[in-house]
Amino acid sequence: MTREITYVQAIAEAIDEELERDEEVILFGEDVEEFGGNFGETEGLYEKHGRNRVRNTPLSEIGIAGMALGAAVGGIRPVAELQFADFAATAGDEVFNQIPKQPYVSGGQIEAPLTIFAPSGAGIGAGAQHSQSVHSWLGNVPGWVVVTATTPYDAKGLFKSAIRDNNPVFFLPHKMLSETKGEVPDEEYTLPLGEAAVEEDGEDVTVVATQLMFHRAKEAAAEVDADVEIVNPRTFAPLDTETIAESVRKTGRLVVVDETVERYGTQGHIANEIVENDFFSLDAPPKTIGVKDIPIPLSPPLEQEALPSADRIANGIESLF
Amino acid sequence: MTQNVSVDDDTARDLLEEMLRIDIFEEETKERFGEGEIPGFVHLSGGHEGSHVGMGAAMRDDDWLAVGGARLIGQYIAKGVPLPEIMAELYGRVGGSNKGHGGQMHVSDVDRRLYGHAATIGSGQNPAVGLGLAEEMKGTDNVAVTTIGDGGTSRGSFHTALVFAAYWDLPVVFIIENNEWAISTPAESLSPDHLSDYGIPHNMPTESIDGSDVEEVYHTVAEAIERARNGEGPTVIESRVVRLVPHFEGDKETYRDEEAYERAKEEKDPIENYRERLLENDVITEDELEDMVANIEAEVEEAVEFARESPEPEPEAAYDHVYQLPLYGQGEEQ
Repeated sequence: MTREITYVQAIAEAIDEELERDEEVILFGEDVEEFGGNFGETEGLYEKHGRNRVRNTPLSEIGIAGMALGAAVGGIRPVAELQFADFAATAGDEVFNQIPKQPYVSGGQIEAPLTIFAPSGAGIGAGAQHSQSVHSWLGNVPGWVVVTATTPYDAKGLFKSAIRDNNPVFFLPHKMLSETKGEVPDEEYTLPLGEAAVEEDGEDVTVVATQLMFHRAKEAAAEVDADVEIVNPRTFAPLDTETIAESVRKTGRLVVVDETVERYGTQGHIANEIVENDFFSLDAPPKTIGVKDIPIPLSPPLEQEALPSADRIANGIESLF
Repeated sequence: MTQNVSVDDDTARDLLEEMLRIDIFEEETKERFGEGEIPGFVHLSGGHEGSHVGMGAAMRDDDWLAVGGARLIGQYIAKGVPLPEIMAELYGRVGGSNKGHGGQMHVSDVDRRLYGHAATIGSGQNPAVGLGLAEEMKGTDNVAVTTIGDGGTSRGSFHTALVFAAYWDLPVVFIIENNEWAISTPAESLSPDHLSDYGIPHNMPTESIDGSDVEEVYHTVAEAIERARNGEGPTVIESRVVRLVPHFEGDKETYRDEEAYERAKEEKDPIENYRERLLENDVITEDELEDMVANIEAEVEEAVEFARESPEPEPEAAYDHVYQLPLYGQGEEQ
């Protein structure tokens, strides 16, 4: 049996169930108590689990991320929220130098089973410092497991796995999807990390897309005169290249759409994996579509100009035929 | 004037022995580095031995140490990591504590509660706060001790750690080893009278002590740890020491005043001073001291042999420890 919930409800349920299931799990971040998070993602958790397990922090991402690392090494499972994904940069040393590297430099002695989650993505007119998609930054540092969510089903199942995983996981919900609804199972479930999902079957072209771009790719697929297969990577690092390659072997064409900037974004990496390893399965050069190489502007028409639109995706698909 | 000894004789001899262990180990490290046997940088602890050892002796085995600042090796020794494992790690060999993945700046020993070191100076304090939080959540009375140099106190991350530790009254002891130099930048140009004053706005107990006096460090850190164990929250201690060595081996130290440097060596060498103190108080004899040194030299020699005989890692080992696989949900175990 399934029921319909919103994406933020899925996130709150995932944390709630994990707090319930494992007493080592603890949630902290700015305004996670009564305030319930900027998007309602921690609503009700403080009332249910109390101040020991759900903790407001002072305003410092350095403290949140650094404390999460120590707490994880010390044997508990912190789930730490940054209010916006952009703030990965305000905890730069912790996020880029400390968390992903301490387990490695320790020669595997240190385990850091922590999850940082942070709403990412553009579309709500939040401006250049509250709208970025940062999975290409994070994916560039080996040691992080980088996970995104496209649907409420993804959000709940992947977040629960992120909390249970023994690696540091950066989980990136998309703020534009907060109120979108979708079916989730009534019973408990998790989804595997590190595995892509073929969301829509098709024969003519593979489109790789997640988060908001997945939904725009679906619109684009309905516009074009081609049978489109859509693959949702779910985890950007490590990347399930095999599922993508298998799809391209079937369709012969590849479009990668992602909300990272085109300059050094994830699109290039994914396309490169296929070009290097499966070149002869391609019938056309791969197409990469991303955020234009500009900071995200505020005004809605400017912001939409920066983001891949369904039309740009449709044109990209058609350019391969 | 003869200074009294404020600890029992066995403890006093242990403190001296541990300082000598650091000194002799590091002298050998310097030699081996000079001969090209040890890769990378080497930062030595000369002048900090009293601070390291006093702190180490005040800690219980199950208290965490998160090392900061640039004087590292002495702290690893003070936390009880076996010398062969440290030396092999300096050599980058598989027998090292971190199997060669860490090196001088990243010796960890989780079983001995050595978290390791944040080589980006000033980034180890927030993890220490997290360790304190974990111990509190688990209901133990273990504490986290974290060190930093005078230079590192200028990082925002250091101040954030004080904010977070104070916010929840966590069992964390912050020790600032002020040796007056952030490489070549003098600490005297920093505003506070004592760097421990940074704890004042957080209403933490603060102490500024002579860190070259091993007993003073031992007593002060032990009191701070006791407070933390009893749920009375964090403390900031400034341990004033002198750096009797270059910042790293190879640093020409052109920025130092030679006369003041010579005077510091004369007056503030923690090992020389303590050796004299124990001799004058008849806690140890010259003969016993000689035996002690000879035993440590043999230990250090064994550590070097262990490191040399330990194999270089296979190149494929570079790919180990990036991720714990399978990820959750993959494979059959879960």
